[in-house]
Amino acid sequence: MSVKIRFFARFRELLGSDIMTDVAAGTMFTPLITTVAKKNPEGYAAIFDENGAFHEFVILMKNGKRIEIADAAKTPVVDGDEIAVFPPVAGG
Amino acid sequence: MFSERERERYKRQMTLFGDEGQERLKKAHIFIAGAGGLGSPVSLYLAVAGVGTITIVDMDRVDQTNLNRQILHFDRDIGKKKTASAEEKLQKINPDITIHAINAKIDETNAADLVRGADGIVDALDNYPTRYLLNEVAIVKKIPLFHGGIRGFYGQATTIIPGTTPCLKCIFPKPPPQEVFPVVGATAGFIGTVQANEVLKYLLGLGELLTGRLFIWDGMQAHAEEICVERNPACEACGSMAKKTPAREKK
Repeated sequence: MSVKIRFFARFRELLGSDIMTDVAAGTMFTPLITTVAKKNPEGYAAIFDENGAFHEFVILMKNGKRIEIADAAKTPVVDGDEIAVFPPVAGG
Repeated sequence: MFSERERERYKRQMTLFGDEGQERLKKAHIFIAGAGGLGSPVSLYLAVAGVGTITIVDMDRVDQTNLNRQILHFDRDIGKKKTASAEEKLQKINPDITIHAINAKIDETNAADLVRGADGIVDALDNYPTRYLLNEVAIVKKIPLFHGGIRGFYGQATTIIPGTTPCLKCIFPKPPPQEVFPVVGATAGFIGTVQANEVLKYLLGLGELLTGRLFIWDGMQAHAEEICVERNPACEACGSMAKKTPAREKK
């Protein structure tokens, strides 16, 4: 089964966007993003802290619904899910 | 009532929304937080549209590194207060409106006072702590906050109506780390123009506002999209406000 991961803004610059990835049944949100982000160390560091947890400012969504960071590790992804990962854009 | 000069100046837009709409703009008072990359296009477009009173606040002086995007300021303004530069340009581009340019750092001691009397707040800031402060002022005063943010070729915008839409804290509960962000002027122009357009629609009561939607612009792909955003019932800023039903949905 496959899911689509969409990064935005700085995360997109570092990791690309609209990434289709195959996932095994029972895959959870956090390990999926971890695996994809590790393809670029800078991209990984932009999203995760040194303990492997999401930076607290990162916004996570699944199929248009917000996923709280605290819930991401126990949130499963299923075939056809669309995941969005983005930072607040701060400049003005 | 409009002078002949005003009628001529606004002729091409008064065909869209008439004397009544132009009168609404003339009576309006908009507060713009920041006279930088976003504040430049927002203030210029609101000024030429005839928004009657514009308060613009900034604490900085014009620096050469600002000039790739902050189109209110010219090379000759380097070293001047941004507010003095902004006031001069805005008053020259439209002498029939009132500009209050205030050189100040917006903080918790003065935010509510600075915004006093405004019908809406434009977020043209470069940091989240001050954005959160104005988000709270908007909630207390029950006036809209027109949010914009830019970085590089990317930008975002949303219109916050306290009590109805998610507030800034619902959407972005935690601030990103502060940085000297890379940016091109065209991104500021694009997002600032979206914000100005939102202000005009709000004041005129026309169209569909960017409410409950985060507008996202990817200039690299020339692609715009939006993400639905929802209120957080546990939001520390607006969670205690009862949800209002928009008038048109009332039975």
